[in-house]
Amino acid sequence: MNLYLNQIAAIVWKDFVTELKTRELLSAMFIFALLVILIFIFSINLSIVKASEVGPGILWVAFLFAGTIGLNRSFMLEKENGCLMGLMLVPADRTTIYFGKLISNLIFLSIMELFILPLFMIFFNIDLLSHLGPLLVVVFLGTLGFCALGTLLSSLSANLKTREIMLPILLYPLLIPIIIGAVRMTGQVLDGTELADMMKWIGLTASFDIIYIGVSIMTIDHILEE
Amino acid sequence: MNQETTEESNEESYILVWLTGIVFLVAMAAIFLYVPTEQTEGPVQRIMYIHIPSAWLSFFAFFIVFICSILFLWKKEREWDIYAYASAEIGVIFCSLVLITGPIWAKPIWGTWWVWDARLTSTLILWLIYVAYLMLRAQTDAGSMRARYAAVLGIVGFLNIPFIHFSVLWWRTFHPQPKVISSEGFGKGMETSMLITLGISLCAFTLLYFLLMGQRVRQEKLKDEIDSLKREQLYSS
Amino acid sequence: MDNFGFLFAANAFVWGGIIYYVYTLKQRSRELEKDLELLKETLSRESR
Repeated sequence: MNLYLNQIAAIVWKDFVTELKTRELLSAMFIFALLVILIFIFSINLSIVKASEVGPGILWVAFLFAGTIGLNRSFMLEKENGCLMGLMLVPADRTTIYFGKLISNLIFLSIMELFILPLFMIFFNIDLLSHLGPLLVVVFLGTLGFCALGTLLSSLSANLKTREIMLPILLYPLLIPIIIGAVRMTGQVLDGTELADMMKWIGLTASFDIIYIGVSIMTIDHILEE
Repeated sequence: MNQETTEESNEESYILVWLTGIVFLVAMAAIFLYVPTEQTEGPVQRIMYIHIPSAWLSFFAFFIVFICSILFLWKKEREWDIYAYASAEIGVIFCSLVLITGPIWAKPIWGTWWVWDARLTSTLILWLIYVAYLMLRAQTDAGSMRARYAAVLGIVGFLNIPFIHFSVLWWRTFHPQPKVISSEGFGKGMETSMLITLGISLCAFTLLYFLLMGQRVRQEKLKDEIDSLKREQLYSS
Repeated sequence: MDNFGFLFAANAFVWGGIIYYVYTLKQRSRELEKDLELLKETLSRESR
């Protein structure tokens, strides 16, 4: 068990060191998310629409689009330099690759979100600080679901010829339940609803997360097979 | 030996063709002659007898994709991959027909072509998932990689259905309910003659599914045979 | 009550769709069979 965790940690650490050296991914994701939010602000009239009603949707679209960039890169980088072959040659369970990638995707995405949230608060004039706790729970649940399915599908699409195009086409329809859930929950949290009052959404998102992590564990062997 | 089996299956497929044809004729007669016109909706209500069976066929086809994908990953036999592919293609075609007939039915009854009602929305998402499945298959070259990837997507996609169902259902309850003559409780408000007609039509479409599957699977196997022969020719020359 | 047009359109789409699909299936099958025959012929000629 200890060895297993060590192997996962090694993969996460490797991704971190690469990112620290190149500093390509986080800045790109952050700027892209910011641009998405700006484009939405220009395309809707905030003097007519209530900011707290459209805000959560815009926030999650920004997370989703920026997250897709991260997912696209996470396996492509390995593929381009032939590192994936090296990872697969390691005498370790294939699920370690999945978990390593899942955790590093999750961390990168969370860091990006932590930078975006204050800007979101300023742009939309919404007070996030008064319900920061529930908001972070909700954002984490949504991001975890996104990464669980996204990591599986990006490991799959990395081997396709048209990987940048295929990943969103494969991923977005499957993510619709989690997007609906995350947007609804964020909206309710910003309206001041307690977490206990939206148990059905939390249940839906959490079971989505669990089921897709489970499915990924069972199927990742078949994807990472040469 | 080989010759015999193909002849036998040919005979079987002829029986299936005739059976499907006859049941379809009966279904047509029931839809247009036997069943009385609905009082409130008028003749357009007869769309139901092709709309619901198409929906049933496509959902059934997607379920078969799911089962065959699991069996493929388990047994790694080309056979299951062929079944999954054929079933997905047929499912997408009938899902498209559902998405076309739905708005045509909705326009005169609800007054709009499209309502973001739970059932319509889920069908649209389902269609997108399986179109992506077919695109994935088209993008990759034939071989074990394509079959494995497609199988994973077939499983992931089908497991998504309950999530889609509940999220879309709850998503709508936060908005004013659309003015829909709700189809809550199918079969309850229906007369026996309507149920019988619907039943015949369901039978006809189910038979059609098996007929199309047979044809499609045979085609894929022919393609495999041609490929292997081509390879043989390449090596021998 | 005057909505025969819609009924007709829906039926046209469904039957048109099914018939078109069956037609393309037949067409493809025929092509494949022809290919197969051709291949078998050339193979047997070569082996001779």
